[in-house]
Amino acid sequence: MEADVQRIGRELAEAFPRRGRNPLKALDERAMELASRDIELRAALFRLVDVTPACRSLDDLARHLGEYLGEVDGRTPPLDAAMRAADSRAGRKALGAAAAAGVRHMAHRFIVGESPRAALKTLRALHDDGVLSTVDLLGEATVSSAEADRYAERCSEALATLAEAMASWPRPPEPNLSVKVSALTPAIRPEAPELGRRDAEGRLRPLLEQAREAGAHLHVDMESLDSLETTLDLVFALLDEADFETGPSAGLVLQAYLRDSPEELERILDWARASGRTPPLTVRLVKGAYWDHEVVDARQHGWSTPVFESKADCDRNFEELTRRLLDARPLVRVAVASHNLRSVAHAVACAGDTDLEFQVLRGLGDDLAHALSRRGLRVRAYCPVGDLVAGMAYLVRRLLENTANESFLHEQARGVDLGELLAAP
Amino acid sequence: MKPFANEPELELRRSSQRQPLLDALAELDSRLPLEVPVVVGGDRRTESGFVSCDPGAPERVIATAARASEADVEAATDAAQSAARWRELPAKERAEVLAAAAGILRRRRLQLCALEVRECAKPWADADADVCEAIDFLEYYAREAIALASAPELVQVRGERNTLRYVARGVAAVISPWNFPVAIPCGMTAAALAVGNAVVLKPAEQSPACALALAEALWEAGVPRDALALLPGFGDAGAALVTDTRVHTIAFTGSSAVGLEIVRTAAETPAGQSHVKRVVSEMGGKNCVIVDADADLDEAVPAITHSAFGYAGQKCSAAARVLVHEDLADMLLERIVGATATLVVAQAEQFGTDVPPVIEREAQDRVERYVELAERDGRLERPGPAPQAGGWFCSPAIAHGLDPASPVLAEEIFGPLLAVEAVSTVEEALDIVAAAPFALTAGIFSRSPATVEEAKRRVPAGNLYVNRGITGAKVGRQPFGGNRRSGIGAKAGGPGYLIQFAEPRVVSENTMRHGLVVEE
Repeated sequence: MEADVQRIGRELAEAFPRRGRNPLKALDERAMELASRDIELRAALFRLVDVTPACRSLDDLARHLGEYLGEVDGRTPPLDAAMRAADSRAGRKALGAAAAAGVRHMAHRFIVGESPRAALKTLRALHDDGVLSTVDLLGEATVSSAEADRYAERCSEALATLAEAMASWPRPPEPNLSVKVSALTPAIRPEAPELGRRDAEGRLRPLLEQAREAGAHLHVDMESLDSLETTLDLVFALLDEADFETGPSAGLVLQAYLRDSPEELERILDWARASGRTPPLTVRLVKGAYWDHEVVDARQHGWSTPVFESKADCDRNFEELTRRLLDARPLVRVAVASHNLRSVAHAVACAGDTDLEFQVLRGLGDDLAHALSRRGLRVRAYCPVGDLVAGMAYLVRRLLENTANESFLHEQARGVDLGELLAAP
Repeated sequence: MKPFANEPELELRRSSQRQPLLDALAELDSRLPLEVPVVVGGDRRTESGFVSCDPGAPERVIATAARASEADVEAATDAAQSAARWRELPAKERAEVLAAAAGILRRRRLQLCALEVRECAKPWADADADVCEAIDFLEYYAREAIALASAPELVQVRGERNTLRYVARGVAAVISPWNFPVAIPCGMTAAALAVGNAVVLKPAEQSPACALALAEALWEAGVPRDALALLPGFGDAGAALVTDTRVHTIAFTGSSAVGLEIVRTAAETPAGQSHVKRVVSEMGGKNCVIVDADADLDEAVPAITHSAFGYAGQKCSAAARVLVHEDLADMLLERIVGATATLVVAQAEQFGTDVPPVIEREAQDRVERYVELAERDGRLERPGPAPQAGGWFCSPAIAHGLDPASPVLAEEIFGPLLAVEAVSTVEEALDIVAAAPFALTAGIFSRSPATVEEAKRRVPAGNLYVNRGITGAKVGRQPFGGNRRSGIGAKAGGPGYLIQFAEPRVVSENTMRHGLVVEE
């Protein structure tokens, strides 16, 4: 088995497209690499990305950038030049324009379009390359019922747009939409999961109906631990309704960084056994994207950390959950969502067949998607859609993930030896 | 002792931690009403002097309390005179007693939470945070008292020996409010006891049972009966304590009117009083949150609504005014109103409740009076559904477009009413904050380091919060207390607080005898 993992990992790495094909992309990676080396610079970059949509003018943006750079020690000459530019009106205009272009460029790497319609071109290109997609609608935090309604409306429009467009593609794919419970309701209260569940049900039910009619797949994303109970209860309760006994195709997410994830999996499998609905639930296995939040939140409240704090523990758990999920087929369908070559190779080896799906994030896992698809494996790219303002929280999370020192992509970019990257955790 | 760390809160997002609280509530309900005696020098006098009621169901009596009289005050200060044993204990031993009391509160935390839910309509998370804060005060002041016992070294010159030490001032009168019904009386009492003072505790008439639970923990842990008296009662008992010539220190947390009256009265030095009283007074606020044009509203909106309406706005740290940059004002107002509509206005015992009933009818009347003033002086939004009948509910309200002279912008309302005002610049907002008489808490949402620096420089508040909610100060992390008309500047849960309850004594000893230095 271990030999298979190593072999498959090397084969996948071989199948990665050659670097530097796209000069803009290489530039981007250098910026991110620079940011991951210097913690203060990283903070300045993130804060710039974070504030960009709130700035009223290029001048305002440059002023913010100047202030952030002012907090970086040991600035390189180009950064010093940037700071000096922030001191004059003309300089700010140029600096602001450069910063705005930089952030926009970075955003476009992760965000496929401002609307589902605008995203169709990229989705079609992925499709032609043999890569499936799921669309995620970026949005500001939902704090009111009106905002939750608007999000549900956007989801409905997205389903309609995707269904209509994809029907005319060669080998038409199943439209696939990922939704967030925290966007579907402002009523999430961690200590009262039934409040958020009840409120979100009213908006998710019509979406499930629409997905069933359109032959689309609806995937409910998982967010921070504060909404985990709400999310599981919501999905189970709705899919148990008689209306949804035979559709639509639906799924949820298991986060391997949670120490309790083995028990969560047991709960999911128990439900699947009892429910017997078709098609089987898709379980997307991820590492989890809220690691920093969970650690800080737990420390501030004096709670034990709910996530694995060592990468090796998390990776081991990921492999264990992969194995259990694959063993549970056909009770559930399995989607392994990781950019970690080792985890992916392990899943391929463990499955021994092609009855599973791989998922990557658009902008981060493009090379891996290409390699997996060349191997004849089913791959889906998670494609965020929305404007820059709404996308900011998503963008910052992706940057965090990509520049974290232990991140697989970061290590890969650093040129860490393939043998080390593929070593068992 | 181990280094101080905040008591971990219950992790209420896990259902396994919620059920025991409901069990504790059911158990408490089976014992109601409780009985709260006047306790002086170990003597307990029970009588039905007054009752405390569930703000969510006013017909439900939580406790029947004896009502302390002036004679009780006299007896309590008498008894306190003989608390020499406590005063003479080494600081470390007193600290151990306080730590033991913290242990007792820890063991009873579920019952205490349930009691706060019933007697003060504290939602579970707030009740738990209050009990944790009480534990924190005991643990923190225990350590501080040990540190204070080894006072800083003075300059020494050959032939003389100079020492500084801190000793207890004497009798401390603690007059506490109902809104943090265990933590605040605990903090003031623990601080006074830690240094060796005797304490006479007069808790708010709305929460006598919570105060008794605290006192019992302290007695059981080993605080001598003569070093801690409990006087459940009303303002007359408090006033008698303040004028009592044998009281040395008055620690008060509550309204500005009462606080200032205490400061005035305590300044008197009638014949027979051989000391000047010290007053530690924490009073009201009119706390502002500034929202700059570059603020992240996704974070600001929930933080503001929680700070303004959590526990129905009945925290002295609660947000009362939002000063928002005009570019964002319409958007922020719309989102705050929308978010407020989703708040859960319900009984404290329901998990998920954001806005429980206010403490009593008078509080409800006061809030409604200000709501009418807000309608008169500007516009008012009350977006939520009408709350259920039965308790002293006030649905959260947002005033905007107010006449700058409106009392709604100046007076502490102590309820769920938030005023939102547009300003043309952050500077203008800072001018407003800097000109206000209150200076307890404040907040700013901005992503500009320069703006945040300017706010740090200009905001006079005792506690300024940057890009977060403005309530929920933690012992040791956010020492809490107001400046200006909000308080005398002492920081509860911070370094330096204990000195309020101590007097410094310096001894300088000649160590020369006929030219021979006899230092050891």
